[in-house]
Amino acid sequence: MTSPLSSPPAPPAVDLAARSENAVKIYGQGEIEVHALRGVTVGFEAGRFTSIMGPSGSGKSTLMQCMAGLDRLSGGEAFIGDVPISSLRDADLTKLRRDKIGFIFQAFNLIPTLSARENITLPLDLAGTKGDPAWIDHVIETVGLADRIKHRPNELSGGQQQRVAVARALASKPDIIFGDEPTGNLDSRTGAEILEFMRRAVRELGQTIVMVTHDPVSASYSDRVLFLADGQIVDEIFEPNADQVFDRIKSLGD
Amino acid sequence: MLKLTLREIGSAKGRLILTMLSIVLGVGFVAGSFMFTDTLRSTFDDLSADIFEGVDAVVQAEEGEVSSSQGEVIRFDESVVETFAEIEGVAVYEPGLSATSRVFALDGDGEVLAPQGPPVIAVSWAGPSDITTLTLEEGKAPEGPDEVALDPLSIDEAGFAIGDTITVSGPQGLDEFTLVGAVEFGAPGPYFVVFDLPTMQEVLGEPNQIESIVFGAEPGYDVDTLVAELAAAAPDGLEAISSEVAINETQEEFGSFINIFGNVLLGFALVTLFVSIFIIYNTFAILVTQRTRQMGLLRAIGASSSQVLRMVMTEAVVVGLISAVIGLGVGLGVATLLQRLILSGGSLELGTPEIRLRTVIVVLIVGVVVTVLSAIAPAFRASRISPLAALQDSGRPTRSMTFRLISGAFVLVPGVVLLGLGLFGAANTTSGVLTLLGIGSVLTFIGVAMVSALFAGPAASLLGRPVQAIRGTTGRIARDNASRSPQRTAATATALMIGLSLITAVSVLAASIKASFSELLEEALAADIFVYDEQGIPFSPAALAAVEELSEVDAAAGFSEYDAVVDGEVQLLSAYDSAAGSQLVNIPVVEGTLTLSDFGIGVLDTVAEEEAIEVGDELTVAYDDGEELTYTVEGIFEANGLVSGNYAVERSPIGPHVTVDGVGFMAVNLTDDVDAEAGQAAVEETLRQFPQLAVQSNAEFQEETEGQIDAFLQIVNGLLALCIVVAFFGIVNTMALSVMERTREIGLLRAVGMTRRQLRSSIRWEAVIVAVFGSLLGIGMGVVLAWAGIAAVPEGFFSTPTIPFGTLAVYVVIGAVLGVVAAFFPARRAAKLNVLEAIAHE
Repeated sequence: MTSPLSSPPAPPAVDLAARSENAVKIYGQGEIEVHALRGVTVGFEAGRFTSIMGPSGSGKSTLMQCMAGLDRLSGGEAFIGDVPISSLRDADLTKLRRDKIGFIFQAFNLIPTLSARENITLPLDLAGTKGDPAWIDHVIETVGLADRIKHRPNELSGGQQQRVAVARALASKPDIIFGDEPTGNLDSRTGAEILEFMRRAVRELGQTIVMVTHDPVSASYSDRVLFLADGQIVDEIFEPNADQVFDRIKSLGD
Repeated sequence: MLKLTLREIGSAKGRLILTMLSIVLGVGFVAGSFMFTDTLRSTFDDLSADIFEGVDAVVQAEEGEVSSSQGEVIRFDESVVETFAEIEGVAVYEPGLSATSRVFALDGDGEVLAPQGPPVIAVSWAGPSDITTLTLEEGKAPEGPDEVALDPLSIDEAGFAIGDTITVSGPQGLDEFTLVGAVEFGAPGPYFVVFDLPTMQEVLGEPNQIESIVFGAEPGYDVDTLVAELAAAAPDGLEAISSEVAINETQEEFGSFINIFGNVLLGFALVTLFVSIFIIYNTFAILVTQRTRQMGLLRAIGASSSQVLRMVMTEAVVVGLISAVIGLGVGLGVATLLQRLILSGGSLELGTPEIRLRTVIVVLIVGVVVTVLSAIAPAFRASRISPLAALQDSGRPTRSMTFRLISGAFVLVPGVVLLGLGLFGAANTTSGVLTLLGIGSVLTFIGVAMVSALFAGPAASLLGRPVQAIRGTTGRIARDNASRSPQRTAATATALMIGLSLITAVSVLAASIKASFSELLEEALAADIFVYDEQGIPFSPAALAAVEELSEVDAAAGFSEYDAVVDGEVQLLSAYDSAAGSQLVNIPVVEGTLTLSDFGIGVLDTVAEEEAIEVGDELTVAYDDGEELTYTVEGIFEANGLVSGNYAVERSPIGPHVTVDGVGFMAVNLTDDVDAEAGQAAVEETLRQFPQLAVQSNAEFQEETEGQIDAFLQIVNGLLALCIVVAFFGIVNTMALSVMERTREIGLLRAVGMTRRQLRSSIRWEAVIVAVFGSLLGIGMGVVLAWAGIAAVPEGFFSTPTIPFGTLAVYVVIGAVLGVVAAFFPARRAAKLNVLEAIAHE
C-alpha cells in the first residue's frame, strides 16, 4: 500500500548516459487513445546497471524503446548523452543506435546466416569501422565464447546465443546498453549466468546497462530498480535484493 | 475448410498478386494468340467467299504431286474454253489469269507501287459479266493492249488521274499504258493491276495461258448438275469444282498459313506460361513454409493430411480461375496489340478480336491446370507437416540433397534424351520432331531447376563474393540471403533462365548464321554483285539476259529452286546456270563435274550413297507440267550453304516445264578491268526496267542479309520478352515474400544500426545475385541448346558456329539490371518497416 511519490526523485549529480524529460507516449487516437507514458522524467547514470520494472501495461517497455531510439515520443524529450533524439532523422537515429547504443532482446537476437563473431561485430561492420579489436577479443573471452566463435546461431544453445547478443551489445563500447527481458527465454541457471555477466560488464568494464524485466530475481542483479505504473515512475530502490523487489512489485500489481 | 481456404487467399492477397500477374500474362498471351488467329481466320474466310461471289463453278488445273510452283497457280491453254461454252445451264463464263507480285505499276518517280506486306495482284478483267469481285469505281474497264486499271489506293498514292499514261513493270520489262479506270476489290489489302486477258498474257509473257475458268449458272439451274457436266467435259489435267469447294480450298490455303502463324504465337505463349509455372510453384512453396505452424495447428486440432492437401489445392484452383478470367481480358488487349504490330503499315483491317467459346474454355482450363500442377508439390509438402510443427519454432521440412539429385536426374535425363532424339532425327515428321523437342525441353528445364537447387547455394555464394568485396557487410548479408534458401533461389533463377536460354540460343544461331553466311560469300560464292527481288518473288530471266549482255559483266548466273518429282519422290532441286555459275560458285565436287549439260544432274554425296547413285546413271524428273524428263547424273557434290537441294540441275532448260520460269537470285562477276562502282552502276542502269529488283555489291548484300537476320532476331526476342517479364515478376515476388518472411531479422538489423539505405542496398544486391545466377544458367543452357541445334542440322549449313560473347555479356548486365529493378519495391517496403513492430513480428 505504498502511495506514489509526490514527485519523481531528482537525478543524482553524476554523469547521465541517457535521460528523459517529461516523456509522453500516446498510442492510438480518440476512443482508443492509450497513454503509455504520462510524463516520465528520469536519468540513467553512466556505469550503472538499472532495471525498469512494472506490471504489464505500465509503460516500462515503451520507456525503454523510446529511450533507445526505437520508437518516438509523443511529447517531452529523450537524450542519449546530450543529444536530444526526438528530432533526429531516421538515418541519424540509426547511426546513433549503431554507434552509441547496444541492444539485447528477449529472443531472436542474432542473424541466422552470420557466425557468432560476425554477429558480434555486425554493428561495427555496418558502420564500416573495425572497432577496437583488443576490446572485442576481451569481450569474447569474458563471455566465454572463444571456442564457439565461428559457429552459426543455430549451432549454439539458447544461453550461448544470448551471450553472443550481450557481446554484440558491448562490442562497440556503446554509451548505453538497453535490454528487453534479456533472460526471459532462458532457464533460471542460464539466465543467472547472463545477468552475472551483465553485472560484471558494468562493474569491471565500466558499461552502462538499462534492462526491462518483470522478474524480481533478475532485477536484484542491478544497482537500481525503477518502478513504473500507469505510465509514471512510482518508486525506486537502490542496491536491491530480490525480496524487496518482490514485495514492492506485488503492491504495484494490485 | 473452404471458408478457411478463402480467408487464407484473402489474407494472402498481397502475396498472391504477383503470382496471379504472372499467370495472367501467360494465359493472356495464350488467349490473345487464339483471338488474333480466329479474327484473322474469319477475315480471310470472308475474303475467300467474296472472291467467288457470283461464281457457281470453276474449272482449273488438277494439282499434281508438285503443286503450284513458285507461288503461282498452274496454267493451262485457253483453247479448252470452247469445250465448255455450249454446256447446258451455263449463263456466263470467263477465263482468267493472275500473277502475284510480278507486275507492278510505277509511280511518277519510277518507284514500285506496293503495300507493305500484302502482295500486288495482277489480274485479267473478267469482261462485262458480273462474276467478278472487282467492281469498277471510276472510269471504264481496261480493254485492248494499251489500257490498265488500278485500285484506288495505288492511284491515290501515286497521285494519278484517269487518263494518265503510266508505266507498268512486268516480267518482260517496262511498258506504258493508259490508266482508264479504278477498280475496287471486296476487302482492302493487296494492290491491283488489271488488264484484259490478252494484255495480261502479253505482259506476263504467257501467251494463250489461263489459270481458271469461272462459270455462272442459268437462274434456277442446279449447280451440282452443272459441275458434273463440266467435269465430264473437262480434258485430262483439268477439274471442275463448285464455288463452294473452291471457297473451301482457298480458305484452307489461307488457313494453313494462319495455322502455322497461330501455332508459332501459341508456342511463345506456352513458353511464357511455362515460365510462370516456376513462379507459381515458388509462391506456394514459400506460402506453405510460412504457414508451417498454422498447418501444424490445423493438424493438431484434427485436420487430416488430405484436408490440408485439399486446402492448398483449392487455393490453387481459386487463384488459377481468377487469374484465367483476368487473363481473358488481357488476351483481348494482347490480340489488339498483335493486330496493330503485325498488320502495321498494311491496309488490311481486322475488326475487334473474336472471343470464341473455345478460347474461353481452353483459357480457363489452362489457367487452372497450370496453377494446380505448379502447386502440387508444395501442397503435398504441406500435407506432410506434422502436428508437432505447431509447437516448434520453425519446422521447415527440407529434403535431403541426395533425394533432390536423384529426383532431378529422373526428370533431367529423359529430358535430355528426348531432346537428343528430336534433334538427331528419331522422328520422321515435323510434328514428331517438335513433340520430342517440346517435351524434351520442358523436362530438361524442370530437371535443371531441380538439380540447380543443389548448387544454387554455393553458386550464389560465389557470385556474391565480389558483392561482399565491394559492399562489405551489406554485401555479405545480401550474399548470405541469396544462398540461404537454395531451392527458392533456384526456382526464381530458373524462371529467368528459361527465357534467357531461348534468347541466347536464338542469338547464337543468328550469329552463327551470319558468320557462316559471310564465309559463304567469301569462299563459296565469289560474286561482285547480287540481284534479287525485294519481295522474294522469282524474277524474269529477261533481267538475267540483259545483264549478261553488258560489256562490264564477265559472267552472270541465275539461281532458282524447284520442287520436282525425282524417281517418284518429291525433292528440292537447286537450278542454276552452271556454265557461268562454275566461275562464280565454288561447290566442292566429289566426282564428275557440276558444269552440267541441259539434262545433266548433280547429286549430293550423301544422297548418292544412300540411293546408290553413280555418275552416268539416269534419273527421271517431272516438274509442274508432269512430263517425265530423263536426266543423266554428271556429278556428285558435297553439301554447302549455297546449294540447299539434294540435286543440282541446269536452270534454263526447265523453263517450259514450270509455271513460272523465274530466277531466285542472280550473281554477277564484273570483268577485271572494270571499276566495281562503275560496274554496279551499269547493272543498275540496265535493270531500271525491273524496278522491283535490288542490285547490291557483295558487301551491301552481306549487310542487308545481316540486317534481315537481326530483324528476325528482334521479333523472336520481342516475343520472348514476355517470358522475361514474367520471370521479372518472379524475382519481385520472391524478394517480396522473403522480405516478409525475414521481417524480424530486418527489424533486428535496423535496431543494431543498419541504415535504411544499407538495408535497401542489401536487398537489391541479393536480387542481383539471384538474377545474375539465373542469367548465367540461361546463357549456359542457351549455348548448349544452340550447339545441339547446330550439330543437328546437316553439315555445311553452319560452316562457322559463333558465340556472340558481347551480346551475351549484355544479357548478363540486363539480368543484373532486372534484379535491381525487381528489388525496388521489396527493398522500399523493407526499409519502411517499423523497427519495433518488425522485431515483435511473429
